[in-house]
Amino acid sequence: MDDEVSNSLRRMSSRTRKVAPKMAAALASSDNRTQAALARLEALENDNAGIEAVEAIDDDEASLDDEDQVFMQKKQSKGTKRTTRQAKALEARKAPRTFLELLHEANLELLPPHVPSYWKAAVGPPSSTCRRHFCTVCGFSANYTCVRCGMRFCSYRCQNVHNDTRCLKFVA
Amino acid sequence: MSPHNVVVLDNGGGLIKAGHGGECDPLVVVPNCLYRPPSSKKWLYPNPLNPTTTTTTTTVEPSSVTEVDLTSAAVRRPMDRGYMINPELQREIWAHLFSSILHINPSNSSLLLTEPLFTLPSIQQSMDELVFEDFNFKSLYVADPPSLVHLYEASRRPDGLVSRAQCSLVVDCGFSFTHASPVFQNFTLNYAVKRIDLGGKALTNYLKELVSFRAVNVMEETFIMDDVKENLCFVSLDVPRDLQIARKPGRENLFRCTYVLPDGVTHTKGFVKYPDQVHRYHSLADDAPLAPTETKEDMNNTEMTEKPEDRRRVDLTKNEFDLTNERFLVPEMIFHPADLGMNEAGLAECIVRAVNCCHPQLHPVLYESIILTGGSTLFPQFAKRLEMELRPLVPDDYHVKITPQQDPMLGVWRGGSLLASSPDFKAMCVTKSEYEELGSARCRKRFFH
Ligand SMILES: [Zn+2]
Ligand SMILES: [Zn+2]
Repeated sequence: MDDEVSNSLRRMSSRTRKVAPKMAAALASSDNRTQAALARLEALENDNAGIEAVEAIDDDEASLDDEDQVFMQKKQSKGTKRTTRQAKALEARKAPRTFLELLHEANLELLPPHVPSYWKAAVGPPSSTCRRHFCTVCGFSANYTCVRCGMRFCSYRCQNVHNDTRCLKFVA
Repeated sequence: MSPHNVVVLDNGGGLIKAGHGGECDPLVVVPNCLYRPPSSKKWLYPNPLNPTTTTTTTTVEPSSVTEVDLTSAAVRRPMDRGYMINPELQREIWAHLFSSILHINPSNSSLLLTEPLFTLPSIQQSMDELVFEDFNFKSLYVADPPSLVHLYEASRRPDGLVSRAQCSLVVDCGFSFTHASPVFQNFTLNYAVKRIDLGGKALTNYLKELVSFRAVNVMEETFIMDDVKENLCFVSLDVPRDLQIARKPGRENLFRCTYVLPDGVTHTKGFVKYPDQVHRYHSLADDAPLAPTETKEDMNNTEMTEKPEDRRRVDLTKNEFDLTNERFLVPEMIFHPADLGMNEAGLAECIVRAVNCCHPQLHPVLYESIILTGGSTLFPQFAKRLEMELRPLVPDDYHVKITPQQDPMLGVWRGGSLLASSPDFKAMCVTKSEYEELGSARCRKRFFH
């Protein structure tokens, strides 16, 4: 994540501060098509994809800010009748972070080149760059691209459905 | 130490498989999450899965978690992208598992725990704290999944190549990601492991997205859409052909299936409306030529095929939806992540890259000992399609042999159970006092191969 992105994120409400990096990049990008594509990929790893990040604060510790976190842990420890020692240990423990945050903190890029790591195990880009395109409306092979959002459709009919129901959905 | 004092815990991102070392199968398979239905203020523990639905490879019965209505339930998982990021939540889930389901006392037990490859040191430390400080296990051994799968398969066929060559290529397509891992002499060659950042969770979310845009909004229905995926998705052997078939009207469309969502009154689980529709595509012999059809879609040429409006005309109050090409376009992602816009190679190339990182002498043996494991390899025709894609990428004089595990969701656990009952196991563990003396990082070196 570059500085500009993180700065703009910091200016956002603390509620949404901890959105994942791809989403952050998407939100800060001026290019609608890139935004839509990145947001869509990020959504594939969400646990509660139907619930918007901002609404999810009650459910998802990861999106709470630090004050809420402590409060929630206190509440939890009371509810589950933990001992004082455990409750203290709990508060001392860091709030859960996303894997990508932990990965960033691990500074794997500082490892010597011969050491296997999470990054080195990534499969890498495909050797053939040819991408098949499926109509986002009906699933058939799609030869047309929406000029606004970059999504694909196969026919006028699907284009109309696209414009009516899903164009720029992730960006709106 | 009797193997029965060893708790074997395969702590997956989707499912926990847990039981006693030395036994054939885990005592319990339970989702590694808490869930909260809209009607509940509290987060609840999911019930263990019915063992019959986890050990059979195909099932038409809905395999949802419980009798509870999981419609629109929110989910909290301790694992993110395959790694344990929330020790608090994991502790809650384990505490319930140990006391209420397994009925074990950790302070009398050793633990064999699986951990994904390349787990970050900070996560390993949190794990060790959980095991020794929160639960007081007597001792711990941490194993990586591919080596356990290899161990199990080698023991099943002592005369097979995997056992004789002490070598295999484990392809694990799980909940969070997919790994191709060469294993040699029971050690995973971690410098050669390759990973695709796609697994069952992303596939379910992709299916949610497709259905939500085309028929009914199911974006909040994680549990239901898992069931849809498990029962209806399959791997296509010929995508352009199947896309054509998926547009045909009526009975000519061999893929159309209707799924009925729970209504919360008469049924709390979804189900396939006409179970005989599920397997109709099997009548497609893969060599039977399809009657020639237009391959290039013309903007105006839609009379012959289904109109999108027809799909959208589904009565939303009926609480059901049809699937056609979604059934194979979802697992298709594992073979071609680029179609989604991901800049990652597909599974066949992933395997080739893993093999190419190994010593050339191992290449022919690895291609001949490919083992498929993980829940996402359960899609019908998975192995066949993989072979079709892999064969052209492998030198002609090498054999390609792909062996799907019998119960791919249990393979890792079974290998762990085997290891836990071996005479050497005790010596391989780190004891609580060693942990207290040496700390996490130094203890971990013992598990490093
Ligand atoms: Zn279309
Ligand atoms: Zn558009």
